[in-house]
Amino acid sequence: MPERSIIQSSGFANTEAGFTLRLRQPNYRGLRLSLIEGIDITVDGQTYPAEANSILLRGEVYSHAAMAEATETWWNVGETIAVQVAKPDGLSAGVHEVGCTLRLRHPYFPPQFQPAFVRETRHITIIQP
Amino acid sequence: MSGFQYGVSLYSYTDDIGTVMGLDEALEHVADTGATGIEILSESHIPAYPRPDTAWIDHWFARLERLKLVPTNMACWVDTSITLNHNRTEEEGAAQLAQDLRLAHLLGFRFIRPKFGVIDEELTPHPIWRGAVERVLDLADELDITIIPEIHAPTPIRHPVTEAYVDFIQKTGTRHFGLLIDTGIFQDRPLPYWPGETPEIRKAALSFLDGIKVPVEHLAEVIDYVPFIQAKFHHIDEKLHDHHIPWDRIVPMLKKLNYNGYLSSEYEGVRDPWVAIEQVRRQHCLIRRLERETELSHA
Repeated sequence: MPERSIIQSSGFANTEAGFTLRLRQPNYRGLRLSLIEGIDITVDGQTYPAEANSILLRGEVYSHAAMAEATETWWNVGETIAVQVAKPDGLSAGVHEVGCTLRLRHPYFPPQFQPAFVRETRHITIIQP
Repeated sequence: MSGFQYGVSLYSYTDDIGTVMGLDEALEHVADTGATGIEILSESHIPAYPRPDTAWIDHWFARLERLKLVPTNMACWVDTSITLNHNRTEEEGAAQLAQDLRLAHLLGFRFIRPKFGVIDEELTPHPIWRGAVERVLDLADELDITIIPEIHAPTPIRHPVTEAYVDFIQKTGTRHFGLLIDTGIFQDRPLPYWPGETPEIRKAALSFLDGIKVPVEHLAEVIDYVPFIQAKFHHIDEKLHDHHIPWDRIVPMLKKLNYNGYLSSEYEGVRDPWVAIEQVRRQHCLIRRLERETELSHA
């Protein structure tokens, strides 16, 4: 089972195109992807805006634009996704300060809370191959 | 004198489910309280919502039978602003409700609680609600499931939102639409600040978390339309003292009004691992004790 935090220690790794970061679903109900307005990632103070990030959910990759239209796909409670972030050369091995900001639209929340922000920061580690 | 029926909403175990327990363990904890009613959240607790496979459904009924639990309410949502560019129409809202009614029926539930998108800070539901519900009333009749939107803080009992629901019941004459009362409306002492909340935020936008203090006497005005109650609470200490919800006034009023439906625990407090398990047990102990005391004082 995942860690209690949203940002997961395991799954943090470099990829061919950049790096990947595992997140636990942060809400009490399953999230339609179309209700996620964006997932921004920061690493050591540098922000990687949602518009350029993709997610990997149950083997399928969704771009930011694809998520906005995915009304019948749910990120379930207790389930993790991998956020795929483009960064030539990836991240250095070692401990990084990593943050995420999820912008969630809850239609049953009053308009002034749209979107709602879920933020977390943790120190997690890239291990060299 | 017949009594309350006791249940638990799996919402109580938010964040525990999926990190330190699965659905099976959660159901075991519910059954161990002596409760009979199990309330779930559709999109949260049915892994392949809206289409669970037959193996999952078989397992669901096997667990309920072994633990002697009865499905009560399936909470669900009508997400009006489904994408940034589209708000659902009455027809689309009805399709969502029909899907959830059929799923609830398949899993043995008697109630669904649709949460409609809202248009203001008083939680006025999006105007499609009425047309959407009208379109599925025949289906609700056929499946014998009652649709129960919730009356939830900051919306009190004496309010246009509640009045509109009652008007709908009276005009349609339906027996398959009612009110779910969330006992958070009776909260009469402030909640502690949630993580990230500041005094400024509380004052500006979340003052209802200080308690909207609906008088329990107002229940008498709507009780005929209330088939189900979510027993919302936030913290009960080791002396069985609830820090926010006045059970010592709610329970006698419900007994006086001959309420015989479910009280379905909805713990909404500190989300550290395993806290909810003990909190739910304390609530059941507290309410059962108050119910017994009320009965004895009227015997």
